[in-house]
Amino acid sequence: MGRPAIITREPRYFPPPKDWIGLLGRRALATVREAGRALMLLFEAVSCMQFMFVRRSRREIIHQMFIGGIKSLGVITVVATFTGMILALQTGIEMRRFGQEVYIGAAVMVSMLREMGPFMTGLILAASVGSAIAAQMGTMVVSEEIAALELMSINPVRFLVMPRLVAMVVMTPVLSFYSCIMGVVGGGVVGMTQLGVPWSAYIDNATRFAENKDLFVGMFKAFLFGILIVITACHQGFATSQGAVGVGNATRRTVILSFLAILIAGYFVTRLFYV
Amino acid sequence: MIRLEHVVKRLGDRVVLDGIDLEVRTGETLAIVGPSGTGKSVTLKHMVRLLTPDEGRVCVGEDIVSEATGRELERIRERFGVLFQGGALLEWLTVGENVALPLREKTKMGNDEIVRKATEKLRLVGLEQEWEKYPSEISGGMRKRVGLARAIVRDPEIILYDEPTSGLDPVSSRTIDKLIDNLRHELGVTSVVVTHDLHSALSIGTRIAMLYGGKILELATPELFVQSRVEEVMQFLDSQFITRRGDWEKNIQ
Repeated sequence: MGRPAIITREPRYFPPPKDWIGLLGRRALATVREAGRALMLLFEAVSCMQFMFVRRSRREIIHQMFIGGIKSLGVITVVATFTGMILALQTGIEMRRFGQEVYIGAAVMVSMLREMGPFMTGLILAASVGSAIAAQMGTMVVSEEIAALELMSINPVRFLVMPRLVAMVVMTPVLSFYSCIMGVVGGGVVGMTQLGVPWSAYIDNATRFAENKDLFVGMFKAFLFGILIVITACHQGFATSQGAVGVGNATRRTVILSFLAILIAGYFVTRLFYV
Repeated sequence: MIRLEHVVKRLGDRVVLDGIDLEVRTGETLAIVGPSGTGKSVTLKHMVRLLTPDEGRVCVGEDIVSEATGRELERIRERFGVLFQGGALLEWLTVGENVALPLREKTKMGNDEIVRKATEKLRLVGLEQEWEKYPSEISGGMRKRVGLARAIVRDPEIILYDEPTSGLDPVSSRTIDKLIDNLRHELGVTSVVVTHDLHSALSIGTRIAMLYGGKILELATPELFVQSRVEEVMQFLDSQFITRRGDWEKNIQ
């Protein structure tokens, strides 16, 4: 493994910018610098994955899988089911005008697999797990726990980031797949009760039009979202300063940046595989 | 053992350390005192490179810690044990697991040996019964003692204490002072204590350094420190009602 990153940051001071051009330039440089730091954090976390089968790491990964995965199951079930129900209702109402409501199964299945499943899962995990990770890392920075780890020569990336990254890249696709199933079930219930589409016809259409590619691209998106959420959260958490206010800011920035990253990455993956 | 050579540190427009030269000798307890905001903790952080000097250098034995990075810095830091102000305990681990953490992560010891050694250090700070408790379930003084047990669990050569008695009641403060003093006598470790509690500094320090305005104004044994004629030192002594030897000598006994 290469040189371990120093997470504890020294405070940096710059004189105030002379004009708005200077301010813009400084903001741009700071953005590039922070993006670079986040990327280095990802590389180091990946290089630490060689330790993921060590007993202590294994235990922590399973614990994080429980926190990130199992504890999010309830909210994902509700959101995914209602997403499927809304999709079925909206498309079904329009398609009924042409007598084609039987095809809502295909519309719900393809939408959930390609986009809505990973997207909704990503947003929920960014808001719940991502913000929690940022708050925890931020509090650890403020209370000098990260500095203590570094002074004990315990690499915080290996100890804290790697287990969360592994847990999320496993659990996000799993939860995404689960949300697709719940969405399709929700759509089927609306089809049966509101649109008069028999369950067998709904499922038949849903499975006939969906391709394996839709499933794999959706899972790949979820995998990517898992990485984005953990790295954004850990990076923002480690950059915390100014006590409790700083922790709050890190949490807020994590949710905003994760949402943006999920949206932008989702668009480019779709464009890569379908255009 | 530790040398700060003409160290200058600026934080923004403020010069926190203004070219200080300081040597910590092997086996001694150097207490760094001074009012809040004079750079005591900044000085301490330079010794383990949590901060890097703008000018000058910091050496630990033959190693130049202010220029060390990566594995070399890791190796130098392993010579240190650090007690942070709040203890810096990991909240999701029990007291015992916190103390055992450096052994589990950085040594190849078996579980029995780790538990034995961690228990031994907890016994040294009088907390061997608290293994199963979480940091949130113990008092501030106990957290510091657990932090101290964790700092010494790998038998470091040097221990740094950042405000070890701040926020504690007088009884807990004296307990911590006794522990620090015992560690020097029993284990022979070199210690640097940053504190604004002069009673504590005079009781445990073999030498006292007064930091003021980014400079070392006085560096002397406790006996000579209380007789200092430097105006700022005299004011600092007066502010804590110390005017003669007897005012502080009783503390540790």
